[in-house]
Amino acid sequence: MDFPAERTVDARYMEPPQPFVATMEMLDTLQPGEEMLLLLYREPHPLYRVLQQNGHRWQSELLADGTFAIRITC
Amino acid sequence: MQALLSFEQSPPLAAPLRFFLSAPLFVVLAGVLLVVDGGALLGSRWSPATLAATHLLTIGFMLQVMLGALIQILPVVAGANLARPALVAALVHPAINLGALAMAAGFLFAEARWLQLAAALLGLGLAVFLGVAGRAVFRVPSTSPSIRGLKLALLALAATVGSGLFMLLVLAGGWPVALPGLANLHAGWGLAGWAGVLLAAVAYVVVPMFQLTPGYPARPAWWFPPATLAALLLSTLAVVVDAGWLNLIGRLLLALVALAFIAQTLKLQVGRRRARPDATFRYWQLGLGATLAALLMLIVETLLPAGVVLPAEWTVLLGVLVLVGGFLPFIIGMLYKIVPFLLWFDLQHRSLPGKAVPAMNKLLDEPRMRGQLHSFFVAFALSTVSVAAPAWLAIPAGLALIVAGAWLAHNLLRAVLRHRDFRRAGETAKMPA
Repeated sequence: MDFPAERTVDARYMEPPQPFVATMEMLDTLQPGEEMLLLLYREPHPLYRVLQQNGHRWQSELLADGTFAIRITC
Repeated sequence: MQALLSFEQSPPLAAPLRFFLSAPLFVVLAGVLLVVDGGALLGSRWSPATLAATHLLTIGFMLQVMLGALIQILPVVAGANLARPALVAALVHPAINLGALAMAAGFLFAEARWLQLAAALLGLGLAVFLGVAGRAVFRVPSTSPSIRGLKLALLALAATVGSGLFMLLVLAGGWPVALPGLANLHAGWGLAGWAGVLLAAVAYVVVPMFQLTPGYPARPAWWFPPATLAALLLSTLAVVVDAGWLNLIGRLLLALVALAFIAQTLKLQVGRRRARPDATFRYWQLGLGATLAALLMLIVETLLPAGVVLPAEWTVLLGVLVLVGGFLPFIIGMLYKIVPFLLWFDLQHRSLPGKAVPAMNKLLDEPRMRGQLHSFFVAFALSTVSVAAPAWLAIPAGLALIVAGAWLAHNLLRAVLRHRDFRRAGETAKMPA
């Protein structure tokens, strides 16, 4: 995945609600229009709802190893 | 920090909890039947006590927990919001409980009226659930294998309920219809199509999340649910056109697909990052091991040459392995993660900013879960062995099942009461001095 490490939250071995917290914390550091990448072994529907409420866009892709790679635009 | 996990979207806590708290009582009731009528229960899958005990476990425990869990997790796993979850729970919960009790009574006492009452209660309750859940789930696109699995599992539940209702009416009305073939299909659609596919759809999410394993590889995860339903359709067609060879293919395909899922899950567990095995992990290991044994028995049974008749106890043992060894452990293992998490999540939402919420293990600690797990191991071992020696072991097995079920009920109820205490303490703290 061609994404800078400092803009990536690899939440694949984190317990809930850490993935959510880490994602929201990273979004807080980004400027509007900047992107981040969230890696997770599930689709985070509750996070999607919050992203939608806050006006963020996202795109999700399921990779062969079961990882959902989610690009979020601040 | 913003409200964690969009709390306002979650169904009220009571909606799933009422299912979780009443379900263990049906394990206790099945244990009571084993104590009272163990000889008949373990001798044949068709005895009234066996049919009653089977449905106490499958409807009273399994289906009940699965419906409660779906009300809670559909928004989380599929982004599908049920309409009016509290009302749905209030309607479906009593229908399932009273329906399961009426069905068990109908079988035990050969009472047509009880069977008709069971058909009415379960038919109506499940129609409501299928309508509401189907409407929510089929509106969202299948962007993950879990969502595809949930959709197919709901279809399989409809097939299970339809065939079950038909058989209840046949039995209650005394109609001259041969039931064994249909009963096998009903069991296949219920256990593999509904419970198995639902379990997989949920496992794709919760196994990596709660056991900190790698994820399920995408391709087999997409294929497991439709392959299971295809196998069931083959077997159904085989019964309709009376083609034994087609049934053989359907059953073998079903067994191989299920074996692949089990092998994959075991492989993921080997790669887990949680060092210490907890109660959930142990429960899942038991579930995977017992289901593996049951599937091997199914393959042997299917491949036996024509004319070889297996003893009646063979099928009873298969049933014990699948239900008491397989599905019950999977479900209890998940309850031990879901219930504390829901209670903790509720406290988190209610807490004052900056004030720490008690850790999850303050609601339900590992030693209590582990103690109950050990009691369940004993119940499973005794139930399995008692198939060979019912006269000696049915009563100890039944007593052990009663203990394991009551202990589970106690653990869950205690967690709910602890949650209430913490909540009250938090509310007192919020009051002005």
